[in-house]
Amino acid sequence: MKCTAMLAAVGVLAAGAAAAQQPPIKIGVLYPLTGGGAVYGVPALAGHQLAIEELNAKGGILGRKIESIERDDKLNPAAASSTMKELITKDKVDIVLGGLASSVGLAMSEVSKQEKVVYISTIPKSIQITTDKLHKYVFRTSANTDQEGDTMAMLAGKNKLSKICHLQLDYAYGNDLEVGILKALPKYAPDAKIVLTLKPKLGATDFNPFIPQVMAAGCDGVLSGLWGPHFVSWVKQAAPLGFFNKIKWISGGEVGSHEIAGELKGEYPDNVISNTYELWYHANDPSHKEFQAKLAKKLNTQETPQWAALGYIGVMYAAAAMEKAKSTEADKVAEALEGLSIGTPVGKLTIDAKTHQANIGQFWGPMVKKSDRAYRMMEPAEYIQPK
Amino acid sequence: MPQRRHLVASAIVVLLLALLPLAGSRYAVDLTTEVLIYALFALSLNVIIGFTGNISFGHAAYFAIGGYACTILLTTYNWPLAASLPAAVVLAGLVAAVVGYFCVRLTQIYFAMLTLAFAMLVWGVAFKWKAVTGGDDGFTGIKLPAMLAHHVGYFYFTLAVVAVGVAALWVICHSAFGLTLVAIRENAVRAGFIGVDTRRMRWAAFTVAGTFGGLAGALFGMYHRGMYIENAYWTESANVLIMVLLGGIYSFVGPIFGAAALHLLQTFTNQYTPYWPTVLGLILLVIVLALPDGLIGLAARVKARRGRT
Repeated sequence: MKCTAMLAAVGVLAAGAAAAQQPPIKIGVLYPLTGGGAVYGVPALAGHQLAIEELNAKGGILGRKIESIERDDKLNPAAASSTMKELITKDKVDIVLGGLASSVGLAMSEVSKQEKVVYISTIPKSIQITTDKLHKYVFRTSANTDQEGDTMAMLAGKNKLSKICHLQLDYAYGNDLEVGILKALPKYAPDAKIVLTLKPKLGATDFNPFIPQVMAAGCDGVLSGLWGPHFVSWVKQAAPLGFFNKIKWISGGEVGSHEIAGELKGEYPDNVISNTYELWYHANDPSHKEFQAKLAKKLNTQETPQWAALGYIGVMYAAAAMEKAKSTEADKVAEALEGLSIGTPVGKLTIDAKTHQANIGQFWGPMVKKSDRAYRMMEPAEYIQPK
Repeated sequence: MPQRRHLVASAIVVLLLALLPLAGSRYAVDLTTEVLIYALFALSLNVIIGFTGNISFGHAAYFAIGGYACTILLTTYNWPLAASLPAAVVLAGLVAAVVGYFCVRLTQIYFAMLTLAFAMLVWGVAFKWKAVTGGDDGFTGIKLPAMLAHHVGYFYFTLAVVAVGVAALWVICHSAFGLTLVAIRENAVRAGFIGVDTRRMRWAAFTVAGTFGGLAGALFGMYHRGMYIENAYWTESANVLIMVLLGGIYSFVGPIFGAAALHLLQTFTNQYTPYWPTVLGLILLVIVLALPDGLIGLAARVKARRGRT
């Protein structure tokens, strides 16, 4: 009897020692951490780190601790490609997440295909990642331009727009979003006409040549893909002319996020309907509150940025897939990701087994004034999820 | 003609590099491949800078043309490598000849600005011609011959091509033509007086630089299995310019050391901090204030001081 107990004790101790000696699971991540993309990359990385801290507190993945290896992608696809190769060959990471620009996402997907390492694209929206350039090891947990375009077309129909001005930035995201909108528009707003299409340059700050053209075109609504700083510049230059008084501005590119509302504050115009991945003040899932509280503590602000949720969800998917596969082998993890459903702060998500695209939705709604706040808030915020 | 000790030293370097894959580190092989490609790129730029004494701010154009042409011919048109690589190099050389025809009419800052303008034109074409180049999505999914698909195979291929390229550049730079270029650099008016057609010589040098820049670009595109518009942007031109300055423009091998030092430094810095631009700024300060003749110049000075004591 004593003997068995002792043997059992030895067994337990040995098992414990084995668990402690197991090497950590390495998760590699690339976001832009310097330059123009850092505004998005830094909060996304904060969400990424939060997820890893949470998982490690619960004992890691498959009983192994997680080691996070974080690098700057410099918003440059060739640099991202080299850095990702380095993560795989030198640091021997088990999976790679991240990216922001579409070109960086495509470059990372290419490395993932060559090296047979799973890559989860957490922000890039280029539709090609999950269509023409799709392969076994690439997955996407952010929205794509077809989904965003579909919702914008639906909103154009819902708001009964008849004469539409179309504004897109002249680069990959803008061009792909335009295709997505034009594909869906006949379905939702068969009578609507696009009377004017303008394509300012990526990074443009002077919209004065464009604003009068839109005002003179007599459209009752604008479909816009001007994101972040482009939208801010447009508003600052157009609002004093009374641009937003009569025109409905339906916008992709997450200008409904708190980051933009907080930046523009009182200057945020009327008649804007836009989207965001996450809102710190609005939940569609019970788990959101806990996530938001932890994030607020980590970032030391109540008004947390939406990008953190994307970094967080990417890690949660990686962890769930490894647990399901009971392995970190790329082939098994890739198979596990196909059709995998997990609970996230924005509700339950499923990755389609064929397209490798998660059915992540976005909050859409009008940006309204609040008497007790210096900034606008989205109200009512409707969570629109692709079928 | 090359001295015997130069030939022996080069052969030893190539042999040592050829033994590298035996060390078993995949990472070292990849990193060396990158360094070799940048070394050829920097060396090609130095034909303009070190030998004719003009600064080009647009050398990435020929790198990008070589890279795009080679990868597009391989992938979109299914050409064999034996045809697409030479075609890409010839195309880069031809474009350099056309651009050079206009640029060599100017010198100094005007020359630099014109090279920059043409390079941005190439960038504009790569950006706008989406159907062919993929625009700012980049051109990915390159089809490579099976032999080169493996990283060791590609390393040997790069080593062979770069070795031949460097040897060819050595011969060109040390020929009568190369010495004439140095004469033009030192005093263009005097070179003209002794009967040298300085404009034609500088034009030829510009074309040579573009051709070998295109070769480096083709190697780069195949290595990354993709070309991106960022590779044609002025920042890429600036990067290679810094490599050349860091290594030393008055020595043939200087740019090779500059390329290796800058690329390795950038890679290792990135493992610890994202603030590479700060480090780069400091490097530039040191070059301009303390090392105007680069690492090679520093080595020469250290050697001279040792010799004295």
